[in-house]
Parts: sequence; C-alpha cells; structure tokens
Amino acid sequence: MMRQRKLWITVLLLWSLAPLLWQLYTSFCTHEALLQPLAEHNQRWTLDNYRQVLTANPPFWRYLLNSVIVGIGSTSLTLLIAIPAAYSLSKVSQNVARVAKFILLGAALFPYVLLFLALLELARSFNLGNNLLALSFPYAGLSMPLAVLLLLSAFRDLPSELEEAARLEGLDLWQRLRWVLIPLIGPATASTAILVFLFSWNEYPIALTWISRADLLTLPVAIARIAGSSVYSIPYGAYAAATVLGALPLLLLVLIFQRQIVSGLTQGAIKG
Amino acid sequence: MMRRIFSKIALLFSLTSVALFASWALSSHPIQINILMPAPFAESTTDLVQQFNNDQHGKIKLQVTRGPLETESVSDLAISSLLLGKSPFDALLIDVTWLPKYAAAGWLTPLNPWIDQQEIDSIAPGAMLGNHFDGKLYRWPLVADMGLLYWRTDLMSEPPRTPEELIKVSLKLQKEGRVANGYVWQGRQYEGLSCVFLEVLDGFGGQWLEPGTDNVGLDSSASLKAASWLRELISSGVSPEAVINYAENEALQAFKSGDVALMRNWPYAWGELQKPNSDVRGNVGVTTMVASDHNRSTSTLGSWGFSILKGSSNPEAAAEAIAFLTSTSAQKKLFTNDSYTPTKTELFKDQELLSKSQILPELAKALQSTDQRPATPLYAQISDVLQRNLSSILTGQSSVSYAMANAQANTEKILMAARETK
Amino acid sequence: MIQLLLIPAALLIALVFGLPLVRYSWLSFHADSVLTGLVAIPNHGANWLRLLHDQRFWQDTYQTARFATVSVSLELLLAIAIALLLDQRWRGRGVVRAISLLPWALPTTVMALGWRWIFNTPYGPIEQFAELIGLQPLNILSNPNITWLATVVGDVWKTTPFAALILLAGLQTIPNDLYEAFYLEGGHPRAALFQITLPLLQPYLLLSLLFRLAQAFGIFDLIQVMTGGGPAGSTESLALYAYLNAMRFLDFGYSATVMISGFLLLVLACLLVWLIFQQASHWREAIK
Repeated sequence: MMRQRKLWITVLLLWSLAPLLWQLYTSFCTHEALLQPLAEHNQRWTLDNYRQVLTANPPFWRYLLNSVIVGIGSTSLTLLIAIPAAYSLSKVSQNVARVAKFILLGAALFPYVLLFLALLELARSFNLGNNLLALSFPYAGLSMPLAVLLLLSAFRDLPSELEEAARLEGLDLWQRLRWVLIPLIGPATASTAILVFLFSWNEYPIALTWISRADLLTLPVAIARIAGSSVYSIPYGAYAAATVLGALPLLLLVLIFQRQIVSGLTQGAIKG
Repeated sequence: MMRRIFSKIALLFSLTSVALFASWALSSHPIQINILMPAPFAESTTDLVQQFNNDQHGKIKLQVTRGPLETESVSDLAISSLLLGKSPFDALLIDVTWLPKYAAAGWLTPLNPWIDQQEIDSIAPGAMLGNHFDGKLYRWPLVADMGLLYWRTDLMSEPPRTPEELIKVSLKLQKEGRVANGYVWQGRQYEGLSCVFLEVLDGFGGQWLEPGTDNVGLDSSASLKAASWLRELISSGVSPEAVINYAENEALQAFKSGDVALMRNWPYAWGELQKPNSDVRGNVGVTTMVASDHNRSTSTLGSWGFSILKGSSNPEAAAEAIAFLTSTSAQKKLFTNDSYTPTKTELFKDQELLSKSQILPELAKALQSTDQRPATPLYAQISDVLQRNLSSILTGQSSVSYAMANAQANTEKILMAARETK
Repeated sequence: MIQLLLIPAALLIALVFGLPLVRYSWLSFHADSVLTGLVAIPNHGANWLRLLHDQRFWQDTYQTARFATVSVSLELLLAIAIALLLDQRWRGRGVVRAISLLPWALPTTVMALGWRWIFNTPYGPIEQFAELIGLQPLNILSNPNITWLATVVGDVWKTTPFAALILLAGLQTIPNDLYEAFYLEGGHPRAALFQITLPLLQPYLLLSLLFRLAQAFGIFDLIQVMTGGGPAGSTESLALYAYLNAMRFLDFGYSATVMISGFLLLVLACLLVWLIFQQASHWREAIK
C-alpha cells in the first residue's frame, strides 16, 4: 500500500513538473545543443537566452510589471465591489438570494472568451483601450460572480449575534463592516483576492484586444507575441527563457499562498 | 494613522503629476511619428531611423514599434489597434494583401498629395502592383518581395525548369545519397501556402480569381494539376513529410544545413545563406519558380509598403519619414545589409550593387514576372479557404478533386454573400 | 437600504455579461463587415442562413465538442485519482499539493508555447525519443488525426488540478464513520469507492463537470498559440473561428452569430449533462 502510494505520488509529480523542467532545460541550452542534443558540443549551456529576453525592447520585466499593475488594480476593484454585494446578499430574503446565486453561478460558468468582441466595442466607445487600469473593469466584472459567491458563503458562516451585538453598541452599517465583519472574513477575502489576481494575471483574449501598445502588454499576450523575438532562426531557447521567467512569479505565489488557494476553491465548492 | 499616510501619498502623487505635466508642457517637443513594422523590418531599419532623427534635429521624432514576427500576428495587432480607435500608430508597414481590406474599412488616407506620378514611374512595375484601391494610391512600397527557387550549384549544373524536372532531379540526388531531401517549401496552413500555390498554379496556366470578376478558378484542370503536384512532392519523398508544418524559417533552416537540394523562399533568405554559419555558403543559386511552360514561370508578389492612417494627426510628417525610408540610398542600404529587394528601377542597374551581388539580375527578372494574390477586401477569407483545403490535401485528409471542388464552392459562397451585401 | 450595496456588482455583471449577449443577438441580424464600411445594416437573418450552410462552422462545432468531451472526461478521471491520493494523510502532502497546482496557475499561453516546443518535429523531446527507439517521425503537430490529441494533452495538464481540488473539497465532506461502518460490515475498499465515495461525490462531480465543460467549450488561448487552428483546420474551435471572423475577416455580424450559436449549443450541452446526472441518481435510487 505504502509503496504503491509512493509510486503514484512520483507519477503525479512527474506529470506536473516534467513539461516545466523541459522548458527550464531548454532555456539554458545553446541553439546548437537544441538542434542536436545527442552530439558533442563545445558549448552546451548558456545564459544567452535570458540575456536576449531581458534586453529586448521593451525588456521582459516590463510585462511582469504591467501584469502586476493589472492584477492589483482588478483585485482591489473586485473586492471593493464584491464585499458589499456579498454582505447585502447575505441579508436579503432566501428567494432573492437563491435567484441571485443561480445567476452568479451561471455567469461564473460562462466561457468568457465569447465576450471579447462586445467588450472591445465597449473599450472603443468609452476610450478604454491601451490603458492598464481600465483593464480592471472587465476583469473585475468577469471575476465578480465567483468573488461574490465565495464571500457570500463567508458572510453566511458568521454568527448573526456578532453583528447584532455591534449594532447594539451603536455602530452604523459602515462601521460594522469596517471594524467587525471584514476582519472576520479575512481568510475568505485573501483566498478570493488570490483567485482574482491569478485570473487577471493569466487572462488572454481581452488583454489581446484591449492593448495594442507594445510597452503596455501583459505577460500572457507578450509571451504569445514573443514569437518575434529573434528574426531568422526558430527562437525556442528564447521562448523557453520567457516561459521560465513568466512562470517564476506564479511559482512563488502558489508556493506561498497554496493554503489560501486551496481553501478558497474548496470553500466555494462546498457552499456553492 | 492610516489616514495620515494616505493623505501624504495623495499629496505626493498630485505634486509629482503637476511637475510632470508642467515639464511636458514647457519643453518644446518634436512631432512624434510612430510606425508599426513587423520585427524583421523594425530591426533592419534601426540605423535608417536613427539617421532620419539626426537629420531632423528634433523637428520630427520617428519611432518604430516592433511588431511580432509572424505576418498574421502583425495584422491582428494593427487591426485591434484600429478597432480600438485612437490607434497609437501614424503609419503601418503592411503586406500587399491587406491593402484592400484596410482601405475598404476606411482606415487609410490616400497618399496622392505627397507622391507624384514621376515618383510612381520610378518604381519597377512589378512592385507597383497592389498599391492602389479604387483608383487611389494608399501604399508606398518599401521592398519588393517575390517567391524564388533556391538551388544548390554544387549539386546540379542548372536548376530544374519544369515541375517534372524538379521531381526527377531531386529523386536522383536523393537516390545517390547526396541529400536527404529534394525540395523544401512552405506547407503549413498559413498565408505562405497560398503564395506557394499561386506560383505553381500560374506555372500550370491557371488563375485563382480573375481580376475584376467573381470567376474563381480553383477547380480548373490547372488547379487540380498544381495541387496534385504539391501532394506528389510529399508522397514521392521529394519533400519531407514535415514540410506540412514548415513556414519560411523551417525551410530555411533545413536548406541552410545542407540536407536539401532546392528551396522555395523569399529574397531575404539569400543573405542568411551567405552567413558564416551556413553550410551551403557560396553554393547557392537563385531563379524563378518552375512552370509547365517556361513563359509562365511566376513569382508571387510579397512586398511590404507603408500606409498612413486616417487617424494620424501628422500625416505630413509621416509622409516625410516614409519618403526617407524608401529613398534610393535607404533601399541600397537595405539591399546590401539584409538582401531586401529594391523597388526603384534604377537600382537594378546600379553598378555598385551589381558588383556586390550576383543575384540582382535574377531578382530583376523575377520582378518582371510577378503575380498578385486576389486584390479584394475579402482576401483573408478566400485565402483561408484555400489554405485549409490545400492543407487537407497535403496531409492526405481528402483527395485533390474533392478538396479543390470544396475550395471552389466555398470561395464562390463568400463572394456571393458579399455581392448580396452590396 | 442594504440592497443598494448590490447595485455596483449588479451593474458590472450586467455590463460585462448581459450587454454582450444582447449586442450579439442584435448584431447577428445585421451585416456589419468591411464590405459595409463597418456599419451595421439589417440583413434579415442572412447571417443565420449562412451559418446553417457553413461547413466550417459545423466542422468546428464537432471539433470543439470532441475536444471538450475527451479532455473533460480525461480530466475528471485523473482528478478523481489525484483527489483520492491527496485526501489521504502522508508526509509532504502540502508540498505535493502545491506542486500539482502549478500547471493550473500558469498562464495558458506560457505553456501553449511550451507544448509547441515539446511536440516540435524534429527537435522536441517526444520526436527525439521516438527517433531513439527507431520510430518514424510522428509529426504530431502536422498530422490532422493526432494534433487535436496534443491540444487535449495541453488542456488536461493545465486544468486537471482545478477539478481535483473541487473533488478534494467534496471528499473532505464525507464523514469517516461511513467508511468505518462499511468496513465493519466486511466491505472491500474498492466497493467503498463505488458505493460510498463516488455517489456522495456526485454534486461535486457535476459542478466540476459543468465548469470544465463550459471552459473547454470556449477553448481559445491554447489553440491559438499552440496550433493556430491547423493543420487543415483540424483543431479550430468555435471561439477561434469567431475571433478570426471578427479580427481577421472584419465580419462582426457573422462573428456575433457564431458566438451566439456557440453559447446556445453550450447551454444545450449543459442541460443534457444535468439531465443525465438526474437520471443517474434516479436509477441508483431505484436499484436500492
């Protein structure tokens, strides 16, 4: 039994990591070593791929920065709107809440790629193109259903006596939210924030259509477009270096916050 | 506590923005011109752009936005910037096939005010194809680009001239074990495949779309022959199976490594093949594509050119920059450094260039027998139909007659739907 | 009063989800393309008529459905296995769980590019290995019969952790005494899987199935970056077709028609899945 489990754990780790490790290996290989991996080479290892990606114009860290800006902007906006909404839903009548939950679930399931054309038109009408912070609006809208559902279940879990007591103390709605309820749903807020951040970090079709200035590209679009980083040979080494650099921040994020991510998703699943 | 920090940050922020705005408003800033180019062109024009900016002494500041490498992605980028409104670009370097679509969408401004007839006459006729739409000049060519047949001078004394010859020569060389593969070209499902097909189709005497009409010729006997020949290249082993996924670079890579006798590619490949890391350096010749009758030998016109966007606030300055980038001296530089074919007739007789390059006469010849892909705003759709069906032939998914009949029917459907809209 | 707090969220959701659906429905009855100078003109259902006869649309529908069915089934099977493994207690579980989550957290385009390299002919590791053991080149990305399977691999790799996590949450709601009682009665562990675990997991299976089905049906980034829809259009999805119609062919009316019909087909598929699950639980009740 034990041995069998170890085997399965190894398989799971291999399956999850092998493609990433291959990218890592590729990113350190010289072009010649990639084309003839089995032959002898004077020089097999190199940092050139990284140099190339980091010194390109605009340099790679710029995309990382853009993604961070978009991620923080959309996460803040989402929480700002979702927390009051979830609180309010936890207070309305059962029937209203049930309908609202159904709609939210439907929206959360929606394959949002299909929205890109209409959102592009919105961007044109309100002149929101080529603006990193403006991307927060569609991102907040798209992650709103999931965020509200997660936070709603957190509010539901709070004992109602708590808020009652605070009301008797003379705290108004804003004070109750600010000083009593929001601190209590801290863990759920953190999980929601991370999930929204991950979503906006990884989003592709909308960033692809809303941003056309090279210095404003977010990471996923920049990666997809990096096909042009070298001119006449197939730049797989540079691709790989870019994927490694693009994966690193998320690697850290997942390792640090895995507990929140897991509890966020599982909470949502149990209550949703 | 928190509030105090916040108000401090807000104060700091507003002070900085006021200072930034003031410094921006007070400084005398040059007219900014931004041109979007595909990566290779952005790279090869770096020096020229710098020179232009120096010459201008701060009057105009030209900036090049380096687009992606793949043609389609450049187009996607340009289109999404145009659809968003307020495009960050003043001018675009566009492919010859995009022009009708962009012009019909109302995105371009005619160049007639800045370019006179004399200048138009100085361009080789082949390079002037596809620059007009509805009688107006919308595009000014930077480089001419034609499909060429590259051959190995160390393996054969002269290049094959007909499709049959090409197969025969290749098979012979392969049988003798002198090369692994006979002929590489662009077989991936993308625009390059349409270019390859057009040349072969013309070589068999066919026509894709009769200019000015809606007559599609994809199910003609010439079309069937052309498609069968491409399929035969793969089935007979002249071309490797992997050619189905080759674009220009993959073909170049294979040819450069010395494993292949013949290649179809654009003029830029010549420069690459003469570099020190090339295994076929000095052993390469260039000619036009094979054809069943050598009068029909055709080169698909590639060609990139500049268009000015209607939304540009400084078309005047953009035109000036374009004039500089396409000047005789600029073209000379682009040809010597990157093998980009000039468009001005005089340069093909330029002694200096002729002494530097032995392929210039061949390029001039190819430029006289160019053919243009159908010039319609619907080109992207009909090319897509052709690519899909050719790809299904090359991969053995469907028979030649079925796929070409399918291509014919679908192309006609697209053109008919368009007629109804009008 | 409290209900006012709902307004911003409701507005945003209506703007981002509701408005597009209304807009597409309207656009789908208009010609709005490069030929009309990008102005919408009513065309009395011509888009819908064209859709009915559009081979490519139906081929893409079939391919999208094929992709979604195969990859979601594989994902769920793997996810059940992974969830069962992660549900047990052993040392280092946290680290393994974090690592297995990684594929899900990475941007799709990052790994789509990676897969393109991994499946590359002839330099990718798979082809290298095939050559080493004396196989002919596999041409994974240029053979219409197998390329779509490569995209399935990419999708399964990326999204299985997500499904596994939802199922893991479900497993943790199953009380342990149920198993204990079952074993006391002499039940076999494998029987427990089918008689306790899977039935009680059913709501979670349904949830992750619906969620994944919807996402797989809208597959776009992976395909666009990995294959661009080729070879021979064999991997093109509905979302990619809609994208091409809008951004490359500048035919917004038709693009909207494709998207609306894609959406309707998806709703249909979800209903079907839901009905099947309902039916399945009825049957189980009946057997009991």
